[in-house]
Amino acid sequence: MTEVAVTGVGVVSALGHGKAVFWAGLVDGVSGLRPIRRFPVPSGAPILGGEVPPIAVTDVVRSAIGRRIDWVSLLALTACRLALEDAGLDPARLDPARTGLGLGSAWGNLQETTVFLDRLLARGAGNPLLFPNLVFNAPLSYASIELGITGPTAMLAAQEVSGEAAIAWGADVIGDGAADVCLAGGAEELGPVAHQVLRETRQMTSGVPRPLDPTADGVCPGEGAAVLVLEPLARARARGARVYARLVPSPGGSVPAPVHGWPRDPEALAELLRPLVGDAELLVAAASGNPALDRVEAAALAVALGGRRTLVTSVRGAIGDFGAAGALAAAAAALAVDAGLVPPTLGLLPPARADLHVVVGSARRTPVRVAVVDGLARGGLCCPLRLEAA
Amino acid sequence: MSGAIAITGLGAVSAVGQDVPALAAAVREGRCGIAPLTLFRYHGRSSLAAEVRGALAAPVALPAASARRLSRPDRFAVAAASEACRDAGLDPALRRAAALTLGATTGGMFESEEEYRRRHAGEAQRFRLSRLLGTSLTTAASVVAQTLGIHGPQATVSTACSSSALAIALAADAIRRGRARVALAVGTDGLCRLTYAGFDALQALDPEPCRPFDVARRGLSLGEGAGALVLEDAAHARARGAKPRALLVGHASGTDAHHVTAPHPEGAGARAAFRGALAAASLPAEAIDYVNAHGSGTRQNDAVEVAVLRAVLGSRLARVPISSTKSQIGHTLGAAGALEAVATVLALEGSILPPTLGLREPDPGFGELDLVPTAGRRLPIAVAASSSYGFGGHNVTLILARGDGR
Repeated sequence: MTEVAVTGVGVVSALGHGKAVFWAGLVDGVSGLRPIRRFPVPSGAPILGGEVPPIAVTDVVRSAIGRRIDWVSLLALTACRLALEDAGLDPARLDPARTGLGLGSAWGNLQETTVFLDRLLARGAGNPLLFPNLVFNAPLSYASIELGITGPTAMLAAQEVSGEAAIAWGADVIGDGAADVCLAGGAEELGPVAHQVLRETRQMTSGVPRPLDPTADGVCPGEGAAVLVLEPLARARARGARVYARLVPSPGGSVPAPVHGWPRDPEALAELLRPLVGDAELLVAAASGNPALDRVEAAALAVALGGRRTLVTSVRGAIGDFGAAGALAAAAAALAVDAGLVPPTLGLLPPARADLHVVVGSARRTPVRVAVVDGLARGGLCCPLRLEAA
Repeated sequence: MSGAIAITGLGAVSAVGQDVPALAAAVREGRCGIAPLTLFRYHGRSSLAAEVRGALAAPVALPAASARRLSRPDRFAVAAASEACRDAGLDPALRRAAALTLGATTGGMFESEEEYRRRHAGEAQRFRLSRLLGTSLTTAASVVAQTLGIHGPQATVSTACSSSALAIALAADAIRRGRARVALAVGTDGLCRLTYAGFDALQALDPEPCRPFDVARRGLSLGEGAGALVLEDAAHARARGAKPRALLVGHASGTDAHHVTAPHPEGAGARAAFRGALAAASLPAEAIDYVNAHGSGTRQNDAVEVAVLRAVLGSRLARVPISSTKSQIGHTLGAAGALEAVATVLALEGSILPPTLGLREPDPGFGELDLVPTAGRRLPIAVAASSSYGFGGHNVTLILARGDGR
């Protein structure tokens, strides 16, 4: 099995465009959550959201086909370009057949899907120009075309762990020796439809989200994309690349849970996580402020960590909750290993659930030799990522 | 990746019936599942579809409230997955540790569209967008996992029409990497307005039942259903006395990086997938006895596929029978790779090559091809290829061989 290095990090989030502003924001405890501006929010509904600042299509898209690109695909492509730039790789100089691309999204292009259906139901005909954007793998198609990638590709969907699932897939591609470079991450959009779903299902907080806080009463919706550049460790070293961390493939699984809900029994989750977290110095939690998720996650971690003083943090308090947020959590984990710095969990007022050692207030400087993103999703899915110091 | 994987269980739900024996019988009898569309009203170039007919059982293992909310493709997936697990004789312990991979493209879109339509028509005061929770592509895998107690590594992939071919490839990879000894690969998709109107808007639907490789072909016929295959480490299957129905001896994928809907004019990614799969199987092109083609029936796709077959199979091409299962069960999109892999396994087992219904006059441009026309052909074969091409240029080829190794 080839060792896998993380050599590039590309992020677009509510904290801004690029890795630097993302990491500085997390470390300084800056919130990216603001009143939503892109669409009107009904009066009385929660107004906060984690919107990504506008991206100029012409800054990112080079091909004629790309001019019709949708927002989710644009987020993904932007993160890909930022990640390659961060890794010091020129897309034009990649070997197309030896480059892979894996992207994850929970919902894909929900917004244009409803635009298409509105016209279909009103006029009885679909819009042929819009349809290609509604194919679930459109972000994968746009990014592979724009970057000229012809090696292994996959679009994954895994609810809240869509980002982790794609990164795990990418680690396997490099681990198998099937590519020299693999871009892997996820993208998700925040639109009025997603907002309405969260409203109707009463999942949003009326205030700020409080991940792992026993008083948490809901999530704040967000959006964004993160893509990691993965390479064989030996190749990365040979070209003098900066190696943020090694990504160690970790088999995930699922535990008994309602099809659309969170598992209720923490023991099964703890059993899945225990072999991965025993020596972890940092655990990046899935916690979002959703009481059902946070409760079972905290209880499972308490069992799996068995009293060790592993530091815990969560990024969803700063950037909001969305399907691909785990890709940003993985980016944060890689950056934490590299910097020896653990960002605080925004929104949490101690004590945390289950007496976990959650970092709050200011960032904690400490060597992070092993960081684990626990990767929990509805339906009992668990897709953990393990990052180790290079 | 190389090394043989045993296929020890099959499941199928399609327009020709809700299990594998029904599919096998339809292949033998040359029966077509393409008929007038009844699931929803649509006025366009085509009014045909390969619908799954008859009542769809809800899984008994779920709470009644959850079971009622299941979408059609979720029910197809559970039915096909259950059949495959029964066929493979998987007990609860084997299922528990099994990996699960699933390919799909639209999830519960039809059910969400119904809610949407009710609001547009004024039949519903309030649109329960919470229904959208059921449209997530991941739901089918969750339902299969929770119903059958499959708790190994899980992945849902979506690369348009090659989704479940990719799911099969990932299942094989999970076994080869030692993540699981047994893996269940499923493909599932249901008909919905979005894809029907979308393909129609692209003028990709044939007004008549699709006629792959025919001179008069005008497009595809959409279908729905699910296919499921239990993949297993060959030694593990042997040790527990499970008889392989076939072997997966190689697979590979290739990407066009060309266009969001149109294939690469020379089929660059499809060639790479076919050649890669042969290399993974350590087989020369001369070893291929039969090709279960992607064969969607669009003018462009069939022409590109033939160019790919010419490039990869060379002089062997004239002696390789080729057919398209889409002529019987329609283009089932995310389920196509799995259902066509099941059809290919049946061909290896039963020595009956599936027909290409509707093929009356082969395109003169495909003159040298040995196309299996409207009746199946009795012919023992040892090695077969099944190719799937997806929108955006995501192509996968699987190489399958007889389970008895002959």
